[in-house]
Amino acid sequence: MQNNSNEPEFSPQQSLQLIRSMIETTKNTISNQSHYFLLWGWAVMIGCLLQYYLKVIAGYPQYHLAWLITPVALAIHFLLAYRDAKQIRVRTFINEANAYLWTGIGLSFFVLAFVFIKIGWQYCFPFYIAFYGMGTFVSGGLIKFKPMIIGGLLCFPLVIVAAFSGYDTQTLLTALAVFISYIIPGHILRYRYQKQSIQSTML
Amino acid sequence: MFKDLDPILHSQLRLAVMSLLISVKEAEFTFIKEKTNATAGNLSVQVQKLKEAGYIDVVKEFKDNYPNTTCKITKKGIKAFEEYVNTLQQYLNVKK
Repeated sequence: MQNNSNEPEFSPQQSLQLIRSMIETTKNTISNQSHYFLLWGWAVMIGCLLQYYLKVIAGYPQYHLAWLITPVALAIHFLLAYRDAKQIRVRTFINEANAYLWTGIGLSFFVLAFVFIKIGWQYCFPFYIAFYGMGTFVSGGLIKFKPMIIGGLLCFPLVIVAAFSGYDTQTLLTALAVFISYIIPGHILRYRYQKQSIQSTML
Repeated sequence: MFKDLDPILHSQLRLAVMSLLISVKEAEFTFIKEKTNATAGNLSVQVQKLKEAGYIDVVKEFKDNYPNTTCKITKKGIKAFEEYVNTLQQYLNVKK
C-alpha cells in the first residue's frame, strides 16, 4: 500500500473508521431551522384566534384584518433568511430539499389565494391544514425528527374534521393544527439545537 | 491482484476532507477546518492537492467584505472516493 507523503502510514481499518466518523460528524450538524416553524406557527395561530375573537366574540365585521399578521411574519421571515444566509457555512442536501419543499408550499399558498378569491375564503382552511401537514410531515422525515412527523400526520385527520365543520370551527382547528405541527415540534427542535450547541462548546 | 489505494486519498487529512464533502453539497473552509481539527496552513495545502487532482472545486469569493473559500466535491472526486472505498473493502475482505 503506498502513501505518497511523509505522513504516518494508516491501515484500511483506520481509513474506514475515519470516513465513518467524518460522515457521522456531518450528519450530526443539525442546522437550526426552528425559528421559521415558530414564526409561522405563532403567526398563524395568533391570526386564527384573533379572527375567531373578532368575528365570533366581538362581532366585528372587518375580522379579516386579523390576517395583517401575514405581511409582518413575511417581513420577519425574509430578515431571518437574510441573516441565516450570511451565517451559513455548510449546505447539506437535506437543507436544499427542505428549501425546495417550503418554497413549493409557499408558492402553493400564494396561488391558492387567487383560487379562494374566486371561489370564496370559506373553503380555505382544510386546504391550508393539509399543506401544513404535508410540509411538516416531509420536513420531519428529512431531518428524522419524530415530533414533527407526528405533528404533520395529526393534521390529516384534522382536515377531515374541518371539511365537516363550520367556518368558525375550522378557524380553531387551523390554530390547533399549527400548534401541534409547528409550535410544539419547533420548541422541541430549538431546545435540542441549544443542547447540541452547549455540548459542542464544552467538547 | 489488488489495486493500489489512491495516493491522493490515502492521507488522513485529505480523506477526512473528502469524507466530509461527500455528504454535503458544499462547505466553507472554516467549517472543514473546525470539523477536521486541522491547522489552516496544512488544510490549505491539502485542499490545493485535492483541487489539482480535480477531486474538488474551490471557489474563493468575498462574503461581508471578508475572503471566503467554499469547497465542493466534483464528479471525478465522487468516482475516486467510491473506488477508494471499494479497494478498502477488498483489502478488508481478504484480511477476514
